[in-house]
Amino acid sequence: MKKIYQYIGLGVILAFSSCSEKELLDTVPSTSISDANSFGSASRILGLVNGAYDAVKGASLYGGRYLLYCDVRGEEFINVTANSYTAYESWNNSYNSGSNDINNLWSQAYTAINDANIIIAGLATSTGVISDTLNAQYTAEAKYIRALCYFSLVTVYATPYNSDQGASKGLPLRLQAETDGDNNDLARSTVAEVYTQILSDLDSAEANLPDSYSSDLLNTTRAHKSTAIALKTRVYLTMNNFAKVVEEAAKIVPQTSAPFSTTSYGVKHALQSDITTLFGTTYTTTESIFSMPMTSSDSYSGQSAIGYIYNANSEYYLNPDGILGNAQWGSSDKRRSLLRVASSLYYLKKYAKASPYIDYIPVIRYSEVLLNYAEAAAQTGNLTLAANLLKAVHARSDASYTFADADIATASALVFTIAIERRIELLGEGFRSGDLLRNLQTIPAKGSSSLQANAVAPTASNYIFPAPNNELTTNKLY
Amino acid sequence: MCSGLYYLLSSKETMKQIVSALLLLSLYLGAAAQSRRITGKVTAKDNDSPIPGVSVKTTGKAIGVQTDGQGNFSIEIPEGVTSLEFTYIGYQKIILPISGNTVNAKLESTASGLNEVVVVGYGTQTKREFTGAAARISGALVKDAPVQSFDQALSGRAAGVSIASPNGVLNNPPVIRIRGVNSISLSSYPLVVIDGIAVNTGNISTSTSVPNNPLSDIDPADIESIDVLKDAASTSIYGSRAAGGVLLITTRRGKEGKAKVIYDAWGSSTKAARLPKLLDATGYMKYKNEAVYNSKVLGGNENNSSVASELFFPNYNADGSLVNTNWYDYIYRTAYSQNHNISVSGGNKTTNYYLSANYSNQQGFVVDNEFKRKSLRFNVDHEVTKWFKIKAGGAYNTSFNQSQNTGSLPNSTFLLIGAARLATALAPNVSVYNADGSYNLSSTGTLGMGNNQVTNTLWNAKALFDLSSYTTENDRFTGNIGATIKLPYHFELNTTYAMDRLRTENNTWLSSQLGSSGYSVGGSATNVSALRNNWDWASTLGFNNKYRKHHVTALLGYDVQKFETTSWGAYATVAADNFFTNYEGSYSTVTASGNSKSEKAFISYFSRVTYDFNNKYFLTANFRRDGNSALGANSKFGNFGGVSAGWLLSEEGFFKNLHIENIVNNVKLRASWGRVGNGNVTNDYASQSLYSASLYGSAATWYLSQAGNPDLSWETSKQTNLGLDLGLLNNRIQVEGTWFNNDVNGLILSAPQSASKGIPDNAILMNVGAMYNRGWELGVTASVIRKENFSWDASFNYTHIKNKVTALATGNSDIIGYTHTSSEASNVTRVGYSVGSLYGAKTAGVNPENGRRIFINKAGEKVQYSATVASGESNWTYLDGTTATAISASDYYLLGNALPKWYGGLSNTFRYKNFDLGINLTYAGGNYVMNGTKATLRDQRFYNNYTDISKRWTTVGQKTDIPRLVYNDQISNGSSYPISANVEKGDFLRLQSLTLGYRVPGRVFGTSGISSARIYASGNNLFLLTGYTGTDPESSSNGNSNTTPGIEKNAVGQGRTFTVGINVGF
Repeated sequence: MKKIYQYIGLGVILAFSSCSEKELLDTVPSTSISDANSFGSASRILGLVNGAYDAVKGASLYGGRYLLYCDVRGEEFINVTANSYTAYESWNNSYNSGSNDINNLWSQAYTAINDANIIIAGLATSTGVISDTLNAQYTAEAKYIRALCYFSLVTVYATPYNSDQGASKGLPLRLQAETDGDNNDLARSTVAEVYTQILSDLDSAEANLPDSYSSDLLNTTRAHKSTAIALKTRVYLTMNNFAKVVEEAAKIVPQTSAPFSTTSYGVKHALQSDITTLFGTTYTTTESIFSMPMTSSDSYSGQSAIGYIYNANSEYYLNPDGILGNAQWGSSDKRRSLLRVASSLYYLKKYAKASPYIDYIPVIRYSEVLLNYAEAAAQTGNLTLAANLLKAVHARSDASYTFADADIATASALVFTIAIERRIELLGEGFRSGDLLRNLQTIPAKGSSSLQANAVAPTASNYIFPAPNNELTTNKLY
Repeated sequence: MCSGLYYLLSSKETMKQIVSALLLLSLYLGAAAQSRRITGKVTAKDNDSPIPGVSVKTTGKAIGVQTDGQGNFSIEIPEGVTSLEFTYIGYQKIILPISGNTVNAKLESTASGLNEVVVVGYGTQTKREFTGAAARISGALVKDAPVQSFDQALSGRAAGVSIASPNGVLNNPPVIRIRGVNSISLSSYPLVVIDGIAVNTGNISTSTSVPNNPLSDIDPADIESIDVLKDAASTSIYGSRAAGGVLLITTRRGKEGKAKVIYDAWGSSTKAARLPKLLDATGYMKYKNEAVYNSKVLGGNENNSSVASELFFPNYNADGSLVNTNWYDYIYRTAYSQNHNISVSGGNKTTNYYLSANYSNQQGFVVDNEFKRKSLRFNVDHEVTKWFKIKAGGAYNTSFNQSQNTGSLPNSTFLLIGAARLATALAPNVSVYNADGSYNLSSTGTLGMGNNQVTNTLWNAKALFDLSSYTTENDRFTGNIGATIKLPYHFELNTTYAMDRLRTENNTWLSSQLGSSGYSVGGSATNVSALRNNWDWASTLGFNNKYRKHHVTALLGYDVQKFETTSWGAYATVAADNFFTNYEGSYSTVTASGNSKSEKAFISYFSRVTYDFNNKYFLTANFRRDGNSALGANSKFGNFGGVSAGWLLSEEGFFKNLHIENIVNNVKLRASWGRVGNGNVTNDYASQSLYSASLYGSAATWYLSQAGNPDLSWETSKQTNLGLDLGLLNNRIQVEGTWFNNDVNGLILSAPQSASKGIPDNAILMNVGAMYNRGWELGVTASVIRKENFSWDASFNYTHIKNKVTALATGNSDIIGYTHTSSEASNVTRVGYSVGSLYGAKTAGVNPENGRRIFINKAGEKVQYSATVASGESNWTYLDGTTATAISASDYYLLGNALPKWYGGLSNTFRYKNFDLGINLTYAGGNYVMNGTKATLRDQRFYNNYTDISKRWTTVGQKTDIPRLVYNDQISNGSSYPISANVEKGDFLRLQSLTLGYRVPGRVFGTSGISSARIYASGNNLFLLTGYTGTDPESSSNGNSNTTPGIEKNAVGQGRTFTVGINVGF
């Protein structure tokens, strides 16, 4: 009898012990999907496209900090905290290959590039899930993203195009989707090759992007035809290819005198009557061609948010010797209301919303396109058009101001005046160092009684950002 | 439990019966002779508790009695008898002379010889049979230590086991290495098995402020023993989970006899030790202004009035005195702690029980740091029938951890809220409060700088502490139930089901008030709740038989374990009112935070066969086949195993013929070889390529979140182990020496990917790389002096270990380890060197000509740095003044090995009459430590400095290692990146603990029922002998990380603790 019980016990235990191996070991995550399913439905493919935009919105890139780096390298701001986590190294141009900002910016931009490459590669093979039109549109959006990121990198990490027509070494040009351990080594293409790729992507994007989307929000946060064109005006301007700037700008600025607006495409881009509404009130007007959306559930805070650095934590004030004191920026200029004064120091409040920091970050505005166009028109001899464009941008914020004849009489005077206007209009939107570098100008010295930053000549090694360690140590062909 | 233990239990029963029979016989035989009566009491030497049932005999004659329940005996002895013999199973026999009519005996446990039980995987063996490498640490050694979790008390206790406390924050998981670093990317923490179930280890807190070591959920007083399995032959039964060694924890169980009640309590006080001496307000202003002026001069602005000559100015109190704040007073404190434990245990022939309760309330020496635990445990064993036994146990506890951010936990080194850095860096010439009693704050909430003309980015520590809280709290039940069924033909079936359900709540609150780090977001509160559900079912079929001189045991088993982890929470910002101090209040913005859900499972089949012949030759073989859900689809299963052999030389005839058994009584040779695996990837889905969802504004997104590797497989280590055990002078000295070699292959590495590939985290887990750990260890325990009233027991252990990386990912490229941020590249793992060697810019002192720090660039050239230069000049120049390229990470050198090459401990226990004195020393060395805190102490921003800054360069020709002070210089002293000038040797000797105890004589208690009592006082970390100038050479800013050891940066050191306690038995 005893033995019977013993064997029953044994049997029961063995029976319960035989769990299914497969069931236990083939675990599947419930909060993410496997690569095999990523192109499985229309909504997932759309999600991937939005994901690539979201990578562009990374804190280190157009989430805001890229703008910060490019602005504070110039002479408009004075740093007060000497904190390397809030772009102090950018401010005094003392970056090295190990610096956080250098590594993070590079990684973030290439993450967006790879996301775009994954979409381009995936859509080339997955057919039938979405329509061919949508397939082409998403590919075009990915190419726009790839172009924007390469442009953002090549203008800071590589010798300016204008110094040698792009003959210098530029960037590793990654055009394939990377999802495994291969292909770590890739030599740099030349600056010119990178620009060629950027323009080829933008041309291709222009051809397949939609004229417009169904809402103002989508028109501002996803690329449509005019977005690619607008970016091209920036790219060609950086290459001093003024004829092409004029050609591209004319597509979305067909008029020769104010009011200027896009008429030939879906979104009727135009200047808004009050610039301050763009910052803090209505982020999705027709002036905001491309912006990074922020919501309370998708925004940055602390040192990741430029609103925190500029405004809430008051880490940079406007250099009294910079554009702040320029006569072209009159006291009644509406753009002065995008500043605030504390203890007689001026602080930027274009990103003024405090917690959650949900001010949209502008990437391309119509007023920039007008100024790109103006500069190119001046350089190509169309002084009237150039002056009209300049006046349109200025008068929108300060109708009472009249440009002195000497400021707009000649091409060179106009170019000079437009450069000043860019500093006023685009202050804090990431343009200053790019403008200095494309014109091969020295980055001016600046400082306060406690902190000083020396000037940086175009020949100096710190005129451009150093290559990051996370590339140098892993890419033997760099 | 296993067959081995049962075998011992049953033999104990038999022995008792034989002894009783003999005693009855002897009484009858002795009755006629002329006699006198001797009385006395028999107690245990280690705790003075009376021992019932001891056989007391006249020497050489068969007259004897047994002691009663109180250990008393009374015996009639015949004429001519001069001594009595005391024997009891489990204790050493002693013979005492008869003088007078009273003879009291103290028996010493034999649990130190070959019959000592060693707990091995899924069973036990005697030390005689055991042929692997293991160490046993008694629970008694950890129960009175002023710690939160038992692992913190194991320092220096066993050869081959290195345990270091990374800092003095309560309940921080210690850095445990059994025979070195056995992996690079995976955890080197050993597998911890408690009463048969492998449990979660590491830090389970979701905050970088407050740590939460789940091992603190176990009351140290409940631990009977800790067995450390070190070699593959012992660990391979745990297959793929044992590469870091195994800690087997056995909790206390009841023993047959009258109910025993034990109450233990201690109270302690702790203070920070070795804090650096800082400048006071006057010194601060002097040196800072000197730096400001130097900067002005070097910038070519000597005559430029728009550049300031001084930026630091005195502030005065209302009474006109100079403000001179010692920030230590607001950050450190004398901490008081108390711990109480009570247990009841006992049983009869069929049922044993153990019940305990614990209350612990501990403070850390950093203000606001607390740990509390309440726990209950029960263990019960019951013999249902002769062939069927059940055992069960369970423990429930709550534990609570609270701490401000100290900057001492991994990934918090450079946080602006780190208390350790605030303590040294805050300006001493400004006050904590304004005259009106409010906090002294700037307009953005940082510390107000008063008359100083600089902007401060650091917080007012007092306001910061008052306006924030970080807590993590556990609710945990662990339990197990098991059965043993004896089958015919010497078979036995065991099965145990264990569950471990741990719920953790992590709460962070930052006030919306100015002065809180949450001010800029309008106040914030984050609650994250995590549930870790872990169950394990193990069944074994055992065989154990002796046939003449052959002894065979065999074990066949199956073990399945599953871990499920769910975590969810929310982050709320913009408090409706600064009244709210928790998440439950009203906030205007709430977003999800800390969400995750994952599971992993292990399925294992294993077996063990042991064979010994004539108690002389021993063989053990293990095999395990493991399935691990986290590994690649193509490689989920792996096979592991080991063989070991032992030869008890001293049992051989030829050895006995040497007649040296009084000198060398035991000689045993051991050898083992085994192959174990490591698949302990922290990410449960590590091998898969995954896309995750997020938001772009309000649009749903998918993005590549992990680049996977379907071939991800086990790391394997092949371990060889050769040992010699000696018992000298009748086991008074026991020596264990072991040589080991551990070749680890197929290392799982986060293989760095070119950042331009855009792969998440720029890394993919791959099996690449190899390394070895080679060394030897020596353990000696000795009863140096053993006299009636005085004894001295000593145990010493030494481990020598060499770690060398022999291969890495494609092209053997270095793996760079970062401390908190990607700008602090602090360690390098490089082929030919040990894992995680120190890394940074090489320096060559200070140029006596101009006080500039000299660096060595990658070409080996000397370049010097000046933080300020005039326009047109370069910050970086060669010594001849020509422009040089700035030092960057490409110029970094490997600066020294960070892993100790030797370590160990020495513990001594002295007993004199009722007094006992314990001295436990630990030591380690052969490594280098990056004293990164020195960079902060010499930081030339607005930070305060230490008093040694007075040695800075001031005059041409001066030789010093502190460069000329230049305001805002962040390079010369190592603030921007690590420099070799801050690398120091890490050798040390620490007085880990010193304990003096006194056993209150039993007569004092009379009939109160108290059977024993001991009071003691102890000190921990009383001295540290080291040339290291930082706070503590065992500091680890990166916690348990394998690739970034040896970094001390902005972290709090160790405390110094004084404890008084009491142990009472009823």
